[in-house]
This record gives sequence, C-alpha cells and structure tokens, in this order.
Amino acid sequence: MEVDNEKQHEADEMVKKNIILAKLDDVLNWGRGWSFWPVSFGLACCAIEMMAAGGPRFDISRFGYEVFRPTPRQADLMIVAGTVTRKMAPAVKKIYDQMAEPKWVISMGSCANSGGPFVDSYAVLPGVDSIIPVDVYIPGCPPRPESLFYGLLQLKQKVQNPAKVRLAKHGK
Amino acid sequence: MENSVLLKLVEELAQKLDGEFEASLGTPVLKIKGARTTEALQAARNFSGTPCEFLHDLTAVDYPDRNEIEVVYHLTSLRGPQMIRIKAVVDRNNPVIDTAVRIWPGADFMERECFDLMGVKFNGHPDLRRILLWDDFEGHPLRKDYVTPSVEERKRLRIMQPGE
Ligand code: SF4
Repeated sequence: MEVDNEKQHEADEMVKKNIILAKLDDVLNWGRGWSFWPVSFGLACCAIEMMAAGGPRFDISRFGYEVFRPTPRQADLMIVAGTVTRKMAPAVKKIYDQMAEPKWVISMGSCANSGGPFVDSYAVLPGVDSIIPVDVYIPGCPPRPESLFYGLLQLKQKVQNPAKVRLAKHGK
Repeated sequence: MENSVLLKLVEELAQKLDGEFEASLGTPVLKIKGARTTEALQAARNFSGTPCEFLHDLTAVDYPDRNEIEVVYHLTSLRGPQMIRIKAVVDRNNPVIDTAVRIWPGADFMERECFDLMGVKFNGHPDLRRILLWDDFEGHPLRKDYVTPSVEERKRLRIMQPGE
C-alpha cells in the first residue's frame, strides 16, 4: 500500500495544478472576454483607424479580437466606427438585431458617440445610442488604434465582471 | 485666343435668346429665363467649331431675396480647354424647368440631386425621386430658409416599414 500512497500523493498534486473549479457562467464570460468576434462596420474615417488596428503595425490579434466577420450572424461585437447618417441608421439597427446573443456594441469616435463635427447636420444621427444600446464609448476624432484596444480591454473587463458592472450601474 | 471664339458665340446666343451675357474670369456666362433652357443647351451643344458637348455639372443656387433659383449648367468643349456657364432663372415658389436628360442622359442623377436638395422640378425627367436623402424626408435642405430640426427631434428615428 505504500507504493499506492505515493501515487495518490502525486495524483493530488496533479489535481491541484490542473483542475480548476468554477461556475459555468464565469468560464464562459472569461472565454468571451478574450475572443470577441467583431462585425466589421466601418462607416467613415474612423473605419480607417479600425483597419489600421487590424494591420500588422498595431496588430489587433495580440488580444485575440482579430476575427472580423462580414456577417452579423457570426459576430458578438459591433464596432460602430464612423458617422451614422439617418439613412444608414435602419441598417445599423437591422444588423444589431441580426447578431446572436450575447452581443456588445462599441461606439468608436465622436461621430458615433454624439454626432461629432456633424451634429448640426440634417442628415446625421446625433449619437448611435439613440437607436442601439452602447457598452463602451471611445472618444477621439478619430481615436488612435491604441484607444480602440483600450476600449476593447475595457469591454473585456465589463464582460468578465458582470457583478461589478451591476454594482456600478444599479448599486446592488 | 480660342476662348474669344467662344465668347463671341455665347454673346450672339445671348442676343438670340434675349438673355444676359457676361465674362467671368474669362468664362462666358449666359443668363436666361428658365423656359428657354433647352434651346440654349441645344445651341451650345451645336456651336460650330467648338461644340460644348460635355455636361460637366448641373446644380442650382438659391436667392431668397430675389425670390429666384438659378439652375447652373457647366458645359465643356472637348475641342479645347474651355468652359461655358449657363444660368437658367426659375421662380422660387414654383421652380419648374425642362429636363436636360433628353440631350445628355448623364444629367439624370445630377437632376435628381438638384431636386433632392433644392426642390427644383425637372419636367420630363424619367424618374424624379430623391437620391441622397431618404424617401420620407421633408423639405429641401440646401434652400437658404431650411431649418434643421433640433437634436432631440433628430434622435427620434422612425424606421420605414417595407412596403410603406
Ligand atoms: S469621429 Fe472624426 S474621424 Fe471618426 S468618423 Fe467622425 S469625423 Fe471621422
């Protein structure tokens, strides 16, 4: 039995190192936060910065967010990069509605946040949050790719810590 | 040198159509009544020697104090680097003018844009709809007296249902 004892001990060590117990929700959120699949939704000049973020110099894949999908069915994050005109707004809403749950929205640039330099225009929607709910706002005109990464990492925090978000939003 | 030819031709045309003629920075400008547009455009297109057969641009300018809208045509002659400008004056309250699509099929989209933003109606246009703005937009935003709705109003978005 001594030999078995030693083996048992070894196995216990292995268990400690390799098995983690957690709630399923936490694990899923942990995974989601590390691999957003953004739907490519470039509308104006901010889209150029989003493309630069995808290129090798800034390299969005360092964070695992490089899987830009051309279809909303396969995406869980919408980066609204640019000016939302009122003619485009129904399309934005439709694409958001077509995305599968859970889904998040990043509003990139002052245009998507609030209308930006075109807020007085008859044709521009003053802020994309008037038609879809927004999780993270990235200020700037345009925001540099680093800002986009910072926004994505903020969203990661938000996704991985739903309790903190609830606390900040509702106080309980 | 060649421009002097065109200046002379346009001046003659102005007399024929009882319009006004002026030279602005070397470009002959012909100002006529809206009703005579087709005549003027046809004549300019058939100028002997330097036919101005390329419609460069078609737009309009709003003059609320004179209660007029000027529809502006820029024509270029491909036989030499020169351009003429034809301004057709229409009434601001009822801006109707004959279409240029019969002469230049390429005028189609330019006239639609002009209708969309300035509200000029082109008689005989095959498909006069809005081109830049959405279909249930109210008003013509490049008119000088257009008032942009407030931010709150623009935030309220009504999405058109299919078939509406
Ligand atoms: S925020 Fe600035 S850079 Fe971005 S879309 Fe608007 S105008 Fe362009």
